[in-house]
Amino acid sequence: MNKTKRSTEKLFGLSVEEYEKISELLGHEPDGFELGIFSAMWSEHCSYKSSKVYLKTLPTEGGKVLIGPGENAGVVDFGDGDVLVFKMESHNHPSFIEPFQGSATGVGGIMRDIFTMGARPVANLNSLRFGSFSHPRTPYYLSEVVKGIGFYGNCMGVPTVGGEVVFDECYNDNILVNAFTIGIAKKDGIFLSSKCEVGNIVVYVGSATGMDGIHGATMASEEFDLKKNKKRSTVQVGDPFTEKLLLEACLEAMEKKLIVSIQDMGAAGLTSSSFEMADKSGKGMLIDLDAIPLRTAGMTPVEMMLSESQERMLIACEKEKLDELKAVFDKWGLNCVKAGEVIKEKVIKFYYNSKIYKTLDVDVIVNGPEYKRPVKKPEYLKEITPVKIDNYKIPENLNDIAVKIITHPNIASKRKVFTQYDYTIGTATVVPPGFSAAVLRVNGNKGFLLNAGGNSKYTYLNPFTGGALAVTECARNITACGGYPAAITDCLNFASPEDPEIMWQFASAVEGVKSAAVKLNTPVISGNVSFYNETAKKDGDKTYVSKIYPTPVIGMLGFIEDVNKALTPCFKDEGDEIYLLGSFKGELGGSLYMELAYGDFRQKPADLNLDYEVRLQNCLRSLIEKGFLKSAADVSEGGIFTALAENAITNPEKILGFAVDYDIKAHGLRIDEFLFSEFEQAFIVTMDKELSGRRESGIAVILKEYGIKLEKIGAVKKNIMKINGIIDLKSGKIKEGYYSVI
Amino acid sequence: MNNKNIKAGITVFPGSNCDADVYRVLNAVFGVNASFIWHKDKIKDLKKYDFIVIPGGFSYGDYLRSGALAARSPIMELVKDYAVKGGITLGICNGFQILLEAGLLGGVMLANDSLKFECKDVYLKTLNTDTPFTCAVKKNSVLKMPIAHHDGNYFATGSIIGGLNKKNGIIFKYCDEKGQITAGSNPNGSLHNIAGISNETGNVMGLMPHPERSSEKILGSEDGGWIFKSMIKYVKEK
Repeated sequence: MNKTKRSTEKLFGLSVEEYEKISELLGHEPDGFELGIFSAMWSEHCSYKSSKVYLKTLPTEGGKVLIGPGENAGVVDFGDGDVLVFKMESHNHPSFIEPFQGSATGVGGIMRDIFTMGARPVANLNSLRFGSFSHPRTPYYLSEVVKGIGFYGNCMGVPTVGGEVVFDECYNDNILVNAFTIGIAKKDGIFLSSKCEVGNIVVYVGSATGMDGIHGATMASEEFDLKKNKKRSTVQVGDPFTEKLLLEACLEAMEKKLIVSIQDMGAAGLTSSSFEMADKSGKGMLIDLDAIPLRTAGMTPVEMMLSESQERMLIACEKEKLDELKAVFDKWGLNCVKAGEVIKEKVIKFYYNSKIYKTLDVDVIVNGPEYKRPVKKPEYLKEITPVKIDNYKIPENLNDIAVKIITHPNIASKRKVFTQYDYTIGTATVVPPGFSAAVLRVNGNKGFLLNAGGNSKYTYLNPFTGGALAVTECARNITACGGYPAAITDCLNFASPEDPEIMWQFASAVEGVKSAAVKLNTPVISGNVSFYNETAKKDGDKTYVSKIYPTPVIGMLGFIEDVNKALTPCFKDEGDEIYLLGSFKGELGGSLYMELAYGDFRQKPADLNLDYEVRLQNCLRSLIEKGFLKSAADVSEGGIFTALAENAITNPEKILGFAVDYDIKAHGLRIDEFLFSEFEQAFIVTMDKELSGRRESGIAVILKEYGIKLEKIGAVKKNIMKINGIIDLKSGKIKEGYYSVI
Repeated sequence: MNNKNIKAGITVFPGSNCDADVYRVLNAVFGVNASFIWHKDKIKDLKKYDFIVIPGGFSYGDYLRSGALAARSPIMELVKDYAVKGGITLGICNGFQILLEAGLLGGVMLANDSLKFECKDVYLKTLNTDTPFTCAVKKNSVLKMPIAHHDGNYFATGSIIGGLNKKNGIIFKYCDEKGQITAGSNPNGSLHNIAGISNETGNVMGLMPHPERSSEKILGSEDGGWIFKSMIKYVKEK
């Protein structure tokens, strides 16, 4: 029997070596309580034991960053005494087991991380990955996940303003649900988990503790085996109504200065909140398990410690303010009980049945293992070579392919998804979901932009550049709206880190994220790693492991001085001129076109020049700020054709078209290379025809300053989509398809 | 009379979540003196307010039925008393559901016919401009406002609809951009495309779309502002 397998069964995910190490640290074999605590805190999910060495290399400071990774979420200065607090987190495993509750509690969990810091959540985003669109289970996952996200976010009154929905067969057996929340707080109103003082009262607030989610963190640190259905009880059950009350109660208590330090009970519940608060504060705690409000009578100490019941917080407060704190939570109808005390000695002493039950050393528990796991360049990458386009005959009817691309589930409108989310609550959403980045206004005209995404297919084909592309792509979407990329959060979704090839993918992708984040000056201020997104499968007698593509997802924040100047990607008026800004290589490797036209995308995609990228984005932003442009959109999945077509139809209230002529011969391109090459560093922009005069001087100066090329390629038309006399489609018809796929 | 002399009360139940938006818009956009009324506030009556808004949200988590629990909350006794005495009372979204459950308006809300939460812009035809909520709106004008609800499928028996028709109690219907009341422009399956109704005396209105989210140009529509402007105008001219 395989050693790891056996350990998984017996030791809640701990390896035999880890078990032995624990026995050595304790001086005896762990009992059930100790094993439960170690298994949670030393789980991949809580300890980042495989990823830590790489995460340390990411840029986390500079720019407007006030607080980087380590707290519940990162903090960025927004000026005028305000700060923005944000983070993205995965909830993949629970969502695969029970998609409605899994996604709902994912959203609930990330919002708690934000208001724990003293910030009121003001917007949510999400990145969702489902299996192939035609897979029989996909409609179920899609509808349940979307319903779960709406259920929680809508009730909380936090608008869900954007995100992405991607379908790929690599997610057939492991869907991904990454949830992002941003909140706003006063600069002097930030609360941390590291401020406990000796003598503070440890207070438990929120829902009672139940049997749900026990071993959730451990479950999320394992691959799914063939008996996955047994894991149902590990999924938490969410109650957004209670969380809304908890939000209001916490913010009210913070406003009244009744809280010294606070941490939410997320993964590994009371265990992680108590040990992490104690550790970060350099203190210890007494925890009275008799005081914990329970939903199920007779829960054992280890069950109380590992429960991941939602909507709970651990608070440290000054002794004399306890009554006032209780009054606030009482007003909101929530539990608020004294559950212990902060002590000097860095241990946690658990009381149970009025006696000391167990004393555990904080350092021993929190300083889990840290691995530099073996890495090996994946075998499959040897086969990934540049596409030899001459071996591929141009298909007879490119119009058919164009329609296939624009109606591909990954391209087609996600309107039916985002209309299930309340995106207008908060009276701040200036640019709603469905465009490149969401734009929110805060005070007066000041605002910020949000975007989340990543390209896993590209990352599979080239992990380093895929990691970088996730960052640059988010930045492009923010820049195309006229914003300045400011900071990022990352959700790194991978298969098992115990596989050296996966670990190589991980290391390369993190390196890519780092390179782009450094160049674009967007520090990584928070994030999360989700490993073990793989499932053992059986096909007849054959067993195999279904693994996701490496999927780094980035959530990015951008700033904008005046939201009135935010640009949307859609075309504005008939007669406007269409330009291509940037470089155009025309490499089809890895594109959706190759997949749909020839059934083969496993080629090397075009490289990404990060220095050029920075110049290109700065150039675009200058053009927008000077008011030269009426729309801007980047060229990405589906190529130029898709960018043009989307710009014509993404504003359902004003459907337009285009006529484009591009001298492909002069550029040495095939027509399909021009139409569908997607890994380009280029934008489609439009200008008012009347601007011609000013363009000469003003625009030329900007282009020259950044060394960027601008070529006129066509004009905005009414209802036609024409390119080089080859593509000839009707906008109305394309719109019908685009909006009806999902 | 200056707008800031107009006192508006916004009820807040556990789970209300549009309270802050209504508060911001009334105070910051229209300059009204609006304040919150917590559902447990120990007050005798609501006499001091020129109008009351019951904002949207998920009062009591929508448990049991949307609005059912809030309708039985102590503050609603005061709202009923206020409304019966002619006080101007507007219920938005969940506030509309609460007014129905409290019996201040007739009919019920079913789940949307899509069985999904629906958030989008809709167009509303104003059928009656002779009310405290629409007196500043041009007759038959089309207003663009967002909806965001799961249970907005209005239903009522024939006698209730008959009563509404008799008293011009159907204030808003869902329509298309041009003002045509069509099946395609009905976002939730509401009977006769009904989006907003008033009581017999015209001083209580429930409305599913959110006027507070469409009172500023930057948010894509200022049309919702006409409802607040009407209420302000009515109070001033009273």
